[in-house]
Amino acid sequence: MNIKVLMSLVALLAAALLVAGCVEDVPVAPPDGVQGEVGIMYTAVGQMPTLLATGQIDGFMVWQPLVSMATVSEIGTVVTYSKDLPPESTWTDHTCCALSAREDFIAANPDLTNAIAALFILAGEYVQENPERSAEISANWLYGGADMTFGDVTISSYDVSKDSIPTIRFTTENSPEWLESNHRFIGALREIGYLTGELETASPDKVDTKLFDFGPYEAGLAMVEAGEIKTPPKLTRPVSLGYLPSDHDAPLFVAVKEWEYFNDNYGIALKPRADVPGKVEVADLIVNDVVVAEVRLVLGEGGAPLMTLMAANAIQFAYAGTPPAISAIDKGTPIKILFPTQTEGSGFVVDSAAPVTDWSSFITWVESRTAEGRPVKIASPARGSIQDVQIKYALQDSGVVVKEVR
Amino acid sequence: MKWYLKIIPLLFILILWELAAILLNNPFILPHPSSVASVLLAPTADILGSGSIIDNALLSIWRVLLGFGLAAACAVPLGIIIGNYRTLEELVNPIIQLFRPIPPLAWVPLALAWFKIGLVSIVFIIFIGSFFPILINSIDGVRRVNRTWIETARIYGAEGWKMLAYVILPAAAPVIWTGLRVGFGVAWMCVVAAEMLPGTTSGIGYLIMYSYNWGQVQVIIAGMIVIGIIGIGVDILFREIEKRKFMWQEMNR
Repeated sequence: MNIKVLMSLVALLAAALLVAGCVEDVPVAPPDGVQGEVGIMYTAVGQMPTLLATGQIDGFMVWQPLVSMATVSEIGTVVTYSKDLPPESTWTDHTCCALSAREDFIAANPDLTNAIAALFILAGEYVQENPERSAEISANWLYGGADMTFGDVTISSYDVSKDSIPTIRFTTENSPEWLESNHRFIGALREIGYLTGELETASPDKVDTKLFDFGPYEAGLAMVEAGEIKTPPKLTRPVSLGYLPSDHDAPLFVAVKEWEYFNDNYGIALKPRADVPGKVEVADLIVNDVVVAEVRLVLGEGGAPLMTLMAANAIQFAYAGTPPAISAIDKGTPIKILFPTQTEGSGFVVDSAAPVTDWSSFITWVESRTAEGRPVKIASPARGSIQDVQIKYALQDSGVVVKEVR
Repeated sequence: MKWYLKIIPLLFILILWELAAILLNNPFILPHPSSVASVLLAPTADILGSGSIIDNALLSIWRVLLGFGLAAACAVPLGIIIGNYRTLEELVNPIIQLFRPIPPLAWVPLALAWFKIGLVSIVFIIFIGSFFPILINSIDGVRRVNRTWIETARIYGAEGWKMLAYVILPAAAPVIWTGLRVGFGVAWMCVVAAEMLPGTTSGIGYLIMYSYNWGQVQVIIAGMIVIGIIGIGVDILFREIEKRKFMWQEMNR
């Protein structure tokens, strides 16, 4: 008796699973009047190439270097880089990573903060001027220069970095476009209910005072232009800087790996403690030949965890995307965004077998797939991320209905 | 059974794996054993700028030993005390049952806030994972000591610490040992969660998570195999000691 009940339960469960597994493939006729529909799902970025190659998604919107990994390995093709997404000229110089710092640290160590700003201004310029060398440094830092395997394709990580670095704009200038795009993301974060604190209803001016402190940047820039960095007082405790595994952070890698260049030419350097080929964990900030601080470089999984560390004062600086910083400030974390470390630098990739070469052919494909009852499915990093906001905005601008896949 | 006979099922799985990989012909779904083997057969080669398999495995073993050692040092005495006093056990049991099912991964944000970035946080995650199995087995071990033995010892005048040292502890030792064995297994399982902590750039768990970041499946599988092999090795060690030290338990049955 009991066994029979158990058996029928198992059979029922199996049937339910089978039905659930098959339902997705049954074409659903689109409602009248809807032109195109795209399903969007949120996944960890590392699995996007695998999801694409196994046909579970048709494309993904992601930051570099994952765009280049997909294209160099020929798993996918780029539809458009983030700056060229529709509506036209909306995303030029759009916000991405920025350096943020704890308010109490800035107040207690103004000269040191200014010096760090100066170093990253110089490092950003270096990356712009030496993309090849910067790509090499990034590949060594992020992957030890190793080859990477995607399915049966093995590619060189140097090729990935060389493809990726030129698609990122390494600027530290807080341009009007950059500021405006931050406001656009705040609007998007409000819409999905992610801002519930200080920034929920704040006016644009109020938002700016809450978010930004451009003082260190201006002081740093003035020192760079004058050709002399002021030596800050020596810090007794180590300072920690969080960063992300992406070549968006190339200026940091370059500042550490090319420390001799910056030391000789500008009198400021982040000298690594250990002479290792890849990641560096501890470096000394040297200004005018004086060691002023021990800097610990903390690798984080994403922007949000870095903000948690900032809130706990486990790190004092973070090199991460602005949306996590905006959310953190909204929740009352005492931090300020100092300046962009890079803008642009994401891309939209689709399956290389798709009949797509640019945005308009992508939209045509979306429409025909919707008509077939198999809407295109794409992946994006977390809801409310830069990539999520951009791709939704662009799709909606092209008249496509975006649905979240749950 | 001869050791080489035990290898046969393993070989069988390998052959099955290779066959499945050939049939599927999609390395994204199932990479060939050879691509994983090429990672495993170069255990001293650098992987993604994060050090070699051997270096990372040794670091992980060290961290697990610290976390497990701390858990054992806390949980065994605590378990013996709790197991000895019925009222105490009834008082703390709800607390133990409340904390026990919380996965170590859930402790990550708190660990970071409390212990900051570094070894202490990692050790804490491993500690919390192995603490409860050891504690529960220790309590159970003490509680299940044969009443007749205790009564007999009491008649002969054993009291207090003598009772504990000469009767209860030796009698509870096999169950406590099982707790340690299970605890070590869990500690080793926690290494991936622990090494996901920010600021960690070494260890076999980190290597798995970092490779996952870049979709490097063959490294992930190689890391899994290394964790499995070390796990088996330690388990064999525990069982060997069990066989030698606690033979009497079998005889008692």
